[in-house]
This record gives sequence, C-alpha cells and structure tokens, in this order.
Amino acid sequence: MDNIFTATFFVSIFASTIRLATPILLTALGEIYTQRSGILNLGLEGTMTMSAMAGFVCAYFSKNLFIGFLGGIIVGMICSAFMAFLSITVRANQVIAGTALTILGIGFSSFIYRIIFGIQKLPPQVESLTKFDIPLLSSIPYIGTIFFQHNLIVYLAYILAVFSWIVLEKTTFGLNVKAVGEHPRAADSKGINVSKVRYTAVIIGGAFAGLSGAFMSIAYMNSFSDTMIAGRGFIAVAVVVFARWNPLRAMVGSLLFGIASALQIRFQAIGVPIPNQFLLMLPYLVTIIALITVSKKAEFPSAYTKPYSRMER
Amino acid sequence: MEKFAVEMRNITKIFGHLKANDAVDFKLRENSINGLLGENGAGKTTLMNVLYGLYRQEEGEIYIHGQKTDIVSPLKAISSGIGMVHQHFMLARPLTVVENIMLGRKSSRGIFLDTRKVAAEIRELSDRYHLMVDPYARIWQLSVGQQQRVEILTTIYQGANILILDEPTAVLTPQEAETLFSILRQMRDDGKSMILITHKLEEILSVVDDVTILRDGKMISSFKVTPATTKEELSRLMVGRDVLFDFNPAAVKPGKERLGMKDLRVKNDKGLPAVNNFSLSVSEGEIVGLAGVDGNGQKELAEALTGLRPAEGGKIFINGIEAENKPPVFFIHQGVAHIPEDRQNMGLAMGFCVSKNLIIKRFCQQPYAKNGVMNYKNIKNHAQKMIQDFQIKTNTTEDITRDLSGGNQQKVILARELADEPSVLIANQPTRGLDVGATEYVRSRLLEARSKGAAILLISADIEEIIQLSDRIAVIYNGELMGILPKGSQPETIGLLMMGKRQGENTGVKENQ
Amino acid sequence: MVSGALLTGAILIIISGNDPIAAYAALLEGAFSNSYRISETFVKAIPLMLMALGVSIAFKNQIWNIGAGGQFTIGTILSVIVCLYFKLPPIPTIILSFIFAFIGGALWGGLAGWLKARFNANEVITTLMLDYIATYLLAYLVYGPMMDPNGFGYPQSAVIEKVLRLPKLIVGGRLHTGIFVAIAILFLMLLFWRSTLGFKIELAGQGNDVSRYAGIDNKKIIVITMLLSGGLSGIAGWNEIHGIHFRLMTDLAGSYGSIAIVIALLGNLNPLGIAISAYFFSVLIVGGNTMQNLTGIPYSLVDIIQGLIVVFVITRTAFRTESIQTFFRKRRYQHNG
Repeated sequence: MDNIFTATFFVSIFASTIRLATPILLTALGEIYTQRSGILNLGLEGTMTMSAMAGFVCAYFSKNLFIGFLGGIIVGMICSAFMAFLSITVRANQVIAGTALTILGIGFSSFIYRIIFGIQKLPPQVESLTKFDIPLLSSIPYIGTIFFQHNLIVYLAYILAVFSWIVLEKTTFGLNVKAVGEHPRAADSKGINVSKVRYTAVIIGGAFAGLSGAFMSIAYMNSFSDTMIAGRGFIAVAVVVFARWNPLRAMVGSLLFGIASALQIRFQAIGVPIPNQFLLMLPYLVTIIALITVSKKAEFPSAYTKPYSRMER
Repeated sequence: MEKFAVEMRNITKIFGHLKANDAVDFKLRENSINGLLGENGAGKTTLMNVLYGLYRQEEGEIYIHGQKTDIVSPLKAISSGIGMVHQHFMLARPLTVVENIMLGRKSSRGIFLDTRKVAAEIRELSDRYHLMVDPYARIWQLSVGQQQRVEILTTIYQGANILILDEPTAVLTPQEAETLFSILRQMRDDGKSMILITHKLEEILSVVDDVTILRDGKMISSFKVTPATTKEELSRLMVGRDVLFDFNPAAVKPGKERLGMKDLRVKNDKGLPAVNNFSLSVSEGEIVGLAGVDGNGQKELAEALTGLRPAEGGKIFINGIEAENKPPVFFIHQGVAHIPEDRQNMGLAMGFCVSKNLIIKRFCQQPYAKNGVMNYKNIKNHAQKMIQDFQIKTNTTEDITRDLSGGNQQKVILARELADEPSVLIANQPTRGLDVGATEYVRSRLLEARSKGAAILLISADIEEIIQLSDRIAVIYNGELMGILPKGSQPETIGLLMMGKRQGENTGVKENQ
Repeated sequence: MVSGALLTGAILIIISGNDPIAAYAALLEGAFSNSYRISETFVKAIPLMLMALGVSIAFKNQIWNIGAGGQFTIGTILSVIVCLYFKLPPIPTIILSFIFAFIGGALWGGLAGWLKARFNANEVITTLMLDYIATYLLAYLVYGPMMDPNGFGYPQSAVIEKVLRLPKLIVGGRLHTGIFVAIAILFLMLLFWRSTLGFKIELAGQGNDVSRYAGIDNKKIIVITMLLSGGLSGIAGWNEIHGIHFRLMTDLAGSYGSIAIVIALLGNLNPLGIAISAYFFSVLIVGGNTMQNLTGIPYSLVDIIQGLIVVFVITRTAFRTESIQTFFRKRRYQHNG
C-alpha cells in the first residue's frame, strides 16, 4: 500500500483524469449552448447512447473511425433536433421531454443494435483510436505524459472549450444565444428569430453529445452496450450548472469527475481495500456534492425552461 | 396635401375568436405626435405591434412615407425607420447597454462583435440628445428612468424617424414624464414623428398634436387636439359612456389602529435596503393611499406586511399584536387580506379551478375541511355564492382560472380576500391592467370594505386612484416615507413627493432633471 | 395516443423485417394464453403501480423524481435485513420489514427532497445519482457481507424464511397476497388527494409564489412530498421481496423507475388512471418477453413504445393548455422572417 503514492501513480492518475473527463466535457460544452439559450436538455443520456451505437456501427462497417465519429455526430444532432421540436415548437414540459428522449434513445439504440448484430457470443469490437503524441511537448518528463499523449478527440475537447468561450462572448451568434435565454421577447423585438436560435443551440448541443457518445464506443470501450453511458449524460448537466454556464469552468467540473473515475479504476487495479462498489459510487457522489455547492447561488438564465410565445403577455 | 409618415388602412387582426383590430384606419402626420387613446383591451398595443411587425394583419395595408410597405417582421419595421419603446422594457438584465443595443444588427466585424465601435457611437448619440447613459453599464444596475432612456437610444441608434412609445409614463413621476415630453417635443421639431400609446387623458391634452381613439377594436374618432378639447369628451369617446370620475366616499369615522409600522426596515432580493425607517398607521374604516412610482420599495413593504418577507428592523403591528417576521399563516389568521401586485404568479394558482382558488388560504378550516379531509361540496357551494356576489364571469365553478379574463381573475382574488370581511387589507396596484369597467368595480368594492370597517393600505402608482379613494395620502420614495397629505391634495403636490422632495421643502419650483 | 405509439412500434417492426401482426399477437399470447401468464400480468403490475403512485405524488408538486428505482432498491435491502437479522416472530417481522422498507425508501427520496429545499439542487440529477449509488450499494451487499453462504458464490443474499413469505393466491402461479396491500394503498391514495395534505402538495405544485402567499411552507412540503414518494417505492420493494424474490439479487429494480414515470404520466397523475396504465404496461412487459422469444424482435421495442407514449402524452398536454385553435392560427399568421 505504501508504494502507491509514487510519481508514476500521480502521472497516470492525472493523465487518466484528462482522458476520462473528455466525454463529460464534450457533452457539457454542448449543453452550455443549449441551456444558455433557455432550454434544459435532459435527453442527453439517450442521445449519447444513440450516438455511441451509431458511431460504433458506422466505424465497424466502414472500417474507418472518422466515419464513425461523423455518424455519431449526425445522429446526435437528429436526436436533439427532436428534443428541440418538443421543447420549442410543441412547448412541452422540458424535463419530461428529456426523460422521454432518454428512454427512447436507450431503447432505440438497443433495438437497432440487436437487429444489426443479433446475439453474439463475443461482442463485436472496433479497433482503438491511436494516441497522438504531440511532437516535442510529449517528451517533457511527467508533464508530457499527463497532457500531451492523448488521442485526437481528447485534444479536440479542450480546444472546443476555449472555442466555445470565444463564440459565446465575442460573436454575434453567442450574443443572440444569451439574449434569447435571458429575454426572448427582447430578442424577438430586435428581429432575432428566437426559435431558430434555440433550435441551433440545441442541435449544437446534440452534435457535441454525439461526438461524446461516439468517443465512448469507439475510443473508450471499443464496443457498444446500451448501459455504457452510465449516467454521464446527466452528470454533464450537473457540470453545466457547476460551471455556471461558462465553458472554461466546465473544464474544471469535468476534470473533477475525471479524477473520481480515475481514482476508482486505479484503486481497483492496485487492490486498495475499499470494496469496488464504493469506488464505483464515487463519481456519482462527487456529482451530488458539486451540485450542492453551486446550486444555491446559481443564476440560471432567466428564460430557463420557459417556452417562448409571442402571444403571451 | 398632408404628408403622412404612417398610414394604416383597414387593418384587421384576429386572435382566435377575438377581433383585436377591426378595420382600423390610422394616420400619423409627419413631424407630429399622435396620441393613441383607448382603454385596456381596446386594441392600441395590438395595432402598434402590427405596425412594428410583431404581428401580421389579416387584412389591410400599411404605407410608410407614402410607400406601401409589407411589414413582415421587426427587422423590416426597423429598416423602414420605425422604432418602438415598449412598456415592459425589452432589455436583457445581465447584459450591458451596448450588448442590448447591438442585438439584431449586423456587426461591422462579420461574425465577431464590434463592441468598442458601437459603444463610441452610443456615447455620441447619448450626448446629443441628453440621454446620459453609460454604454458599459449592465441593465440591472440602471434605474427605471435610465433604462427607458436606453430604449429610446436604441431606436435612435437604429435610425428610426418614426417612434412608437407604449405607455411610457407608466413608470415615471409627473416631473420625469414632463422631462420625457420635452425630449419628445425636441425630437418632433428635429424631424421625427411619434405615436404615443396611452390611456391617460392628461397626456393627450398636454403633449399630443392629434388623437386617435380606439374602442373594442374599432377606430372611433381621430382629430386634432385643441385647447377646447376636454377630458370629458375624450373619456366619453374612449368608453362610450360617462365615466364616474368622482366617487365621493361618505365620511367614515376611523377607529383604532389595525395596521401599524414603526421604523420598518426591509431589504430587497439583492440584499440592499428597500424600505427605510418607515412609520405609518392605518385605522379601522380608513383607506390610506400609498403613492409612489414602481420600484420604490412598495413590493418589499407589502411583502413584509403579509409575512412574505423578513423585516431587518423596526416593528409591524396587526390588531395591536407585534407581527414582524411572523410567517404568512399568522397574518392569514389575523384576517389580513392581501391583493398582490403579481396577480398571476402570486395571487392565483392558474391551473386550479375557480372554486379551489377561492379557498387557497382557508382550505384547512371549516367548512372547507374537517379533521384533515376536504369537503368539496361546501367548497363548490361557496364558489357559487362568490361568483354571484362578485359577478365573476365564468361558466362553472370548476373552470380553470387560467381561462378567465384579467378582470375576472382579479375578481376571484377580490372575492377571496374580501368575502370574510378582513380587518386589514393590503391592496397593491389592484386595478393595474384592468379596463374601466373592472376598475370601477374594484374601487367600489374597496370603498365598501372601508365602510365595513377594514383598515386598507392602498398601494398604487395611479395618482388619480389615490386621490379618488384615499382618506389620507402617504408617499413613498426610495423606501422612505416622504410625507402624509390630506384628502383633496393636488396631483402636483403628490407628484413632487413621489419624486423625492420631502414635505416642507421648497415645493413651488418645477424641476427639470 | 397509446395507439399512436403502438402504430409507430408496428412501423418499426416492419422496418426491421418482421410482421407486426405476428409480433403483437405473440405479445398478447405471452400475456394471456394461460392462467400462469395472466397471473403474471398482475404480478408485474403491483410494483409498477406502487412506484407510479409514488412518482405521481412528486410530480403533482412539480418535483421530478426520476430515481424511484433507487428508492425501491433501498426498500428491498431493508426488508431483507429485517427478515434475516431481526429474530422476531413472523407477523411482527413482516410488519417491521414493511415499516423499514417504507422508511428506507422515504429517506432515500427525502434526501433528494431536502437537497432541493435546502440547496436548490436539481432533483432530476440528485435522484438519479442516488439511484446509481443505491444500485452499487446493493451490489456491494450481495457480493460481500450479505452473500448467501450456501449460494455457491452467486451474488445474492440468503432467502427469507418460508413463514415470512406472502402466501400465494393461485396454484401454479406467482400471484401473492401482496396484491391486497397494493390495492389498499391504491385506495389510500384516492383518499390522500382528498385530504388537506394532498391539497397542500397540489397547491405547492402550482408555484412557489402562490403557495407561499397562501401560507404553505414550501421547503417543508418538498421534503414531505419526497418522503412519501420514496416511501411508496420502498413499499414496492417490500412487496417484491416478500412476494416474489425472497432474497436480494443484483439489479432488482431493473427499469421500474423509468416505467413508473411513464405510467404516472399516462395515468394523468390520477390513482385510478395509474392503476389502469400500470396493468397495461404489465401486459406489454409480460408479453414482450414472449414476443422476443417467438419472433426474435428485441425486447427493447417495449422500451421504445414506452418512450413514444411519453412523447405523445406531453404533446397532447401541451396542446391542451393552449387551445388547438390558437396553435394553428399562430402557425399560419406568424410566419415572419
């Protein structure tokens, strides 16, 4: 037990943290756009499951991982377009719509997967996404291993975080999204198409979730099962609140989840005398605690979950 | 030939079964101010929303400066030179002034915002028209008057030469309104044309060149305003009958104090002081009118007086008992009735049927419930009686409250609060948004409650209402009591106090901001 | 609307290359073709109805209790603990087990309620996280301290004694006297909504402002709502242990939690509506297994139908609160850029 706290241990924990945080970060970033525009998308769990399945299927049959990711992104966008339809056009209760979508997404993905692959003894697999060591930087002792020896999608996720911050703060589109989430009537009176902006924000969220789901099946597990997302879709929503809708802070929140997961895997491998199940509980406990610490003072976008209608006074 | 900035011909706009605008003709002369007058629900805002492109008319045409224009969206209206200053500000609170003004326009930097450029332009315009606004301030930091100026600035920035102003003085003191009017007159002389939506007769007489009167969706009359035009004439056209201007309540001898406030201090949601060292007493059988412009602490005061908000200091007395910081149930049991400002979110459970809404404060008590079990038969009977007594227009007692009109919703609240002959009544903006008929009714019931011995605190931004109904008039400004005036005081005197001039100070001079 | 979902399901079946008539026929056969199967439809309906009743209490207060499965699981755990470790005569043990199951489920739900009242923590996330935690707790117990010493290493607990098991109602079937408990609770729920507490919960669900105005202590009511909501799921767990499983195993809750939500919504949050919907779903589930065996159509079709039903229900509700007329007029007359 006394040899676990070595440098190697820490390096591998931190490297794992960054990698494990990736699916949460990607989904959370997308959900930030969505929630900033005033929509709460709780169907991400189902969307990610569908994208994981789609991504896996595309990658498996095309033998091309890139096509797999593309498939995942497209399916993610379709799923969230449906959520957008229910929330914006039908103006249904967003919490229930999201829950319905999760049920549908998980059911559908399992259904289609079974139709395509049937029941097999050994679950079909996809080859792994190779690591891409950033030249020079990855050779730095310790730091190099932690930060610069990941696969492309991991790097992409963190780049997208910065990119999203720029979009939201410095572009017209970002301003429109924020306005629509704060005061849709004001945006409408200035000629902004509230529905269009919201649809766009939700579908962007779906694209991110789609990439995340595909990442889970292609790069993380190399296979598909309908329970593989294991609550990450909901944890991402918690991270969004924890990050107070800021993409840069979302990185912090995702890393927190990443550490909990990394510790769980590492401790299990080493044989730390804590029962495995308690370690598995860790990410979910951390999520609850993180949520508690921020929710009291969180300033939700004013139009949060309120459907917009020009007729209403 | 007269040149018209705007000509709307035969406009018809329908919502469901309701003809909000019925073949309306409207003309705005160039370089003039046209007052669009009518009661609530007459169709004024709807007509202007059609002009601004928020609604699309079923029938009719619009001509801007003589050109036939199809206004399909606010964007089209803006590009045609039309700007709108809304009654409820269209400003996103966490965003800055620049960001709000930039909304909807094309940036000079493509997809990136050109904040600095716009801020400089705003500063320039703000100086030119004496509008004094800091471009980088966030909206929640600005006062109501400042926010309105941001709204005006926005329209000017967008290049509007036709301005629509929707009840702009609803949130201003008489003096601030006068300042606004002088800005409008200057803009008119500068070449702009303006439409002023209002239901206030004094404004028509003081600032407007032409008046157009709408009633029940139809255009009734349109003419030039001259010194000979009278309030009576306008109101008769507006309402279709002679309106009761004088209630002349019978003198009632006030009894002992039922509601008392001593050095009351209350904080608002942001933690800042909203009510400061407020002392006031209301006796049995009297109406004390509390006049004040929206946002000077009335909401926090009313909530503290009904247990919905804690008091930081000072005392509240209900029927002689100390009541500050007690929970709402205490006030309910003491017979404190509360007609809240926010009818739909606080005063009513919109998804409940009428009969349930009538007993939401008394559902634990007999005869509505016994030993924890509800008696729906009694509840329904009670509802039937209330519907009759208070003339609530609804099909059955089980109708969902959301489906009732605004006036009838307010009657449900009235019925609930007045039926048990409360000892204290706090009425906060009880006639806001109601048409003349409903307004008359509410005011008469308030007077009736007064004659039955209720101690009533009437909080209102409507000076006319205050003058009509109050035995004594108090004025609140910045959370402080500015003074107490006797019955029969002049609107100007009250208005000065509302603006912050304490009683006894130099009240003879009219001030411009 | 249910028919809409079934129709869509039929289309899916066709797309997958199968015959929808055969599929639905297999489903009905699976549910009704013999007395065992018919009794199974009632067996499955019991926990579903109880959990849906629990979920409906939360929903009436606009609290979205998504983690009823976790509350169910805690109920099962406490039931078995009482049965295995408390040495008392049979009747007191059964009653104590019932009480502990209720309290366990109540506390698990109440915790999420308290977190919402005190910290404004979103209950969708907290109830769901607690659901995962409860599932892992169960796994820990059956792989660890509570593993049956005579169980050949299977992840399950020892069985509860025969005297503690609820007697069967029919020969050759699994239907047990627990159904009477469920029906009793159904009637209690009908009375509950006529009580002042029920009224308080409904009023609280109408909005924070109006309920505070009317004198309701919202924070207290949130916690009470979740205590009751979780408690009912806990009772569902008790029922399953004493009537069907008699021991702890991994993942006893299955997807009961999400099905309960669908049933509650389909039943319009009304106890009788819930009872009928619960039975309907039970038929789907019992028949669905047979459908999978006979036609090869994956059981997940039933999940899809569930999800579709929710979609249709909320679409219908959204149409109701604004009249269809206004909706269509809006679409026609508001097409501005």
